[in-house]
Amino acid sequence: MPSSARYFVLLAVLLAASPLVLGEYAQQILSQAFFFAIAAVTVDLLWGYTGILTFGQSAFFGVGVYTVAIALAYYVEGTLATAAVVLGAMAAAALIGAAVGWLSFFDRASPIYVAIVTLALPVVFTQVILSGGAYTGSSSGLPIPPPAISIMQWYWISGGLLLLVAMVSYVFVSSDAGRILVAIRENEERCRYLGLRTSGLKIRLMAACSAVAALAGACYVLFGSVAAHSYGDFVFGTELVVWTALGGRGTLVGPILGTVGVNYVSAVLGGNLPFVWLLFVGFAFVLIVVYLPQGLVPALGSVLSRVTRAAVSREGGRGAVAGAGRARAATPQVRAAASMRATRPGEATPGAEPGAPVLELRQVSKRYGSLQVLEGVNVQARRGEVVGIVGPNGAGKTTLLRCIADGRERSSGDILVNGRHIAGLPPQACVALGVSRKFQTPNVFDALSVLDCLRVARSYRAPTSWWRRSHTLELPEPALRTVQVSGLLSLLDEPAAHLSHGAKQALELAMVLALEPAVLLLDEPTAGLTREERAAIGGVLTELAQSHRLCILLIEHDLDFVREISTRLVVLHMGRVLVDGPLPEAAESEVIRTIYVGGGARP
Amino acid sequence: MFTTQLLDVVTTAGVLYIVALGLLIVYGVLKIINLAHGAFLAVGAYAGVVTTGLGWNPWTALLLAFVIGVALAALVEWRVLRRLYARPLDTILATWGLNIIVVQLITLYFGREIRFAESAIGRAVSVGGATYSEYRMVLLLLAVILGVAVWLVTQRTQIGIVARAVIMNEELAQALGINTRLVRFMTFCLGAGLAALAGALLTPLISVHPNLGVPWLINAFMLVLVAGVSLANLALAALVLGGAQVLVSSYGNPVLGSLTIVILAVVILRFRTITI
Repeated sequence: MPSSARYFVLLAVLLAASPLVLGEYAQQILSQAFFFAIAAVTVDLLWGYTGILTFGQSAFFGVGVYTVAIALAYYVEGTLATAAVVLGAMAAAALIGAAVGWLSFFDRASPIYVAIVTLALPVVFTQVILSGGAYTGSSSGLPIPPPAISIMQWYWISGGLLLLVAMVSYVFVSSDAGRILVAIRENEERCRYLGLRTSGLKIRLMAACSAVAALAGACYVLFGSVAAHSYGDFVFGTELVVWTALGGRGTLVGPILGTVGVNYVSAVLGGNLPFVWLLFVGFAFVLIVVYLPQGLVPALGSVLSRVTRAAVSREGGRGAVAGAGRARAATPQVRAAASMRATRPGEATPGAEPGAPVLELRQVSKRYGSLQVLEGVNVQARRGEVVGIVGPNGAGKTTLLRCIADGRERSSGDILVNGRHIAGLPPQACVALGVSRKFQTPNVFDALSVLDCLRVARSYRAPTSWWRRSHTLELPEPALRTVQVSGLLSLLDEPAAHLSHGAKQALELAMVLALEPAVLLLDEPTAGLTREERAAIGGVLTELAQSHRLCILLIEHDLDFVREISTRLVVLHMGRVLVDGPLPEAAESEVIRTIYVGGGARP
Repeated sequence: MFTTQLLDVVTTAGVLYIVALGLLIVYGVLKIINLAHGAFLAVGAYAGVVTTGLGWNPWTALLLAFVIGVALAALVEWRVLRRLYARPLDTILATWGLNIIVVQLITLYFGREIRFAESAIGRAVSVGGATYSEYRMVLLLLAVILGVAVWLVTQRTQIGIVARAVIMNEELAQALGINTRLVRFMTFCLGAGLAALAGALLTPLISVHPNLGVPWLINAFMLVLVAGVSLANLALAALVLGGAQVLVSSYGNPVLGSLTIVILAVVILRFRTITI
């Protein structure tokens, strides 16, 4: 990205030259703010981008502070040894971060739980330091011999480090993997059903962010030459969140400006009016949370762009061409670069013999307390089959699909996919066996564009780059067909939130197809679609089963649609299979008539 | 020795219960985590400082604390929280912001130094052969009274039934014509009032400074999350976790003791099957 690279060069030049105008005091304050800003960037990656509200980044900063302080105060000296200690602090923080992640991120964890754990972390850290007596300096702090580095050099070191961290973070969040972070924030469940091991991703992110925060802390104590427990406590942890929110979460530049701004002004004003200043920060924080939840930087950005647009349109009145030209330059170039190529349909999943059932349910039951939702369900399905599942509301249709897509759902019985037991596997592992599920209500990533939704879905099959943003997306033919027939091709840059209900349905179907599944579970895939769209999707599904040898389980209320595209019909009623037979004969059965037409069932 | 320890356990549980009660009520009905709870505790504590300064009867501090707490909460709910009910995670941030504001206001007026409030009861009594602080015994009694009172309110009064309806299914309650907005408002005021009351009750036991609320907030927060929205569970959690704290402090070390609640709560929440 050449334009952003230019920004970073500009900032680097600014950083190098600014000591010419800044006094020593300003450089000192800014150095401190830069170190804090690095920690704020890690809060932004975790909270702003991935949705993990964390109060605990201060503890990792503190780990960096105290590892270096204790090492230098008692054990080592010299540049090389100090560098080794800094690396050691990062490694220790990464381990703690991974442990915290392991504790906080399990499949059914509530988003509040991680906030609790990260809240506990600084509390524990502070108590450990306070109880360390003279060894840790307890509440009076632990001084270390300051290294021979001048203020100006510290200014450059801290600023350079911040620039580096910001640049790496920027490349990361702009990469294909960065989009997965946002997808996790938007809809973690959908991510899991797309085969992504979100917990593992979050643990790794937590470990990495912890190491970076520790790096900031380690350098900070070298700069300040005294370690204090307040650098790892709960208040500092919440301050990092406050600064991030003030500047604008999920923007990287917002948290940096927020941190630097608050710290700079509080150092300048704080000398005279420390409490009034903090009071002001408190008020500003509440106002921003209430009225500008996206933070100051995005708000200023939108004001600026409105002003520019106004200027452009005024200019456009006088010289239309110039105005139009500038406006176009401002729009992202994704569309032009994005081209979708069809890949060959997925090779047959290994271990699948033709003719053998790809999906087998043996005596599957599901109870919610005393309520029996499914009872002794036996169903087999082969490749190339479209099995229509019908039944009145409450028959257990959706529950049946849920049991197939998540091994932990059913109460008893066995489910085999490609001859392998799904046992107690979580959804992401069921995807690996070849199962993918489309939810009943459209379940997409609202904040991402259509293209990015597809890309996240595709990342299960195609390797994801941690630093590059790809401009092309290769989709398997069925997914591409779905995108084409539903008209999504012209909406690739549109955020998914703006799509109509029907378009969202089609998008989710395309996302699920991008996984190249062997067994496709569709819960009312055409609800909310127009007649034409419905016919087109029906065509895609029939063709999928026939030429791609997919096994499709389809819940539908519209019996005519089921009759048109299914090869077999399964009728569920009160959790039991009443009819299981090939079409069209099964549709003529007495039971169907009873359920759908009502009355008249004779023994 | 044994009697003293037993009394320590139950009175500590009583104190924790009093402190966490307001937080629990707010969490149950409003489904928000009120990080300003610590600030309300501080407000109550300074009410004690004020009455001491004026030479009033120490018991008047309780009334003063409750009134100020409710008034402050009314303002906060009306101007801030009301706008955030659709964004529950943001209420955590906003209430923390309120905490900053209140703590800074207290600091501006009273300063950062430690203050003391006069205790209503300074005597010791003999309980089961051990000499024990009468004040702590009174606190235990008050915890029981408050617990029973809140329970009676939720079970026997119209407002309590309405509040429970809102806890169980707010949308349905709204559809049935219940003014959920008013329920939220009153609940927040009551929760904050109880927090300030707890702060005033705490003053004889602790030193008063503007940030006194933070450690109490964290412990209360943990207890409430462990307890869910049940008063009985809260009492149980206060007894078990508070008891563990007392035992770890006396047999292990005090630092570990102060972490007991936090660490146990994190572990309990991790392995409990019901997710919060």
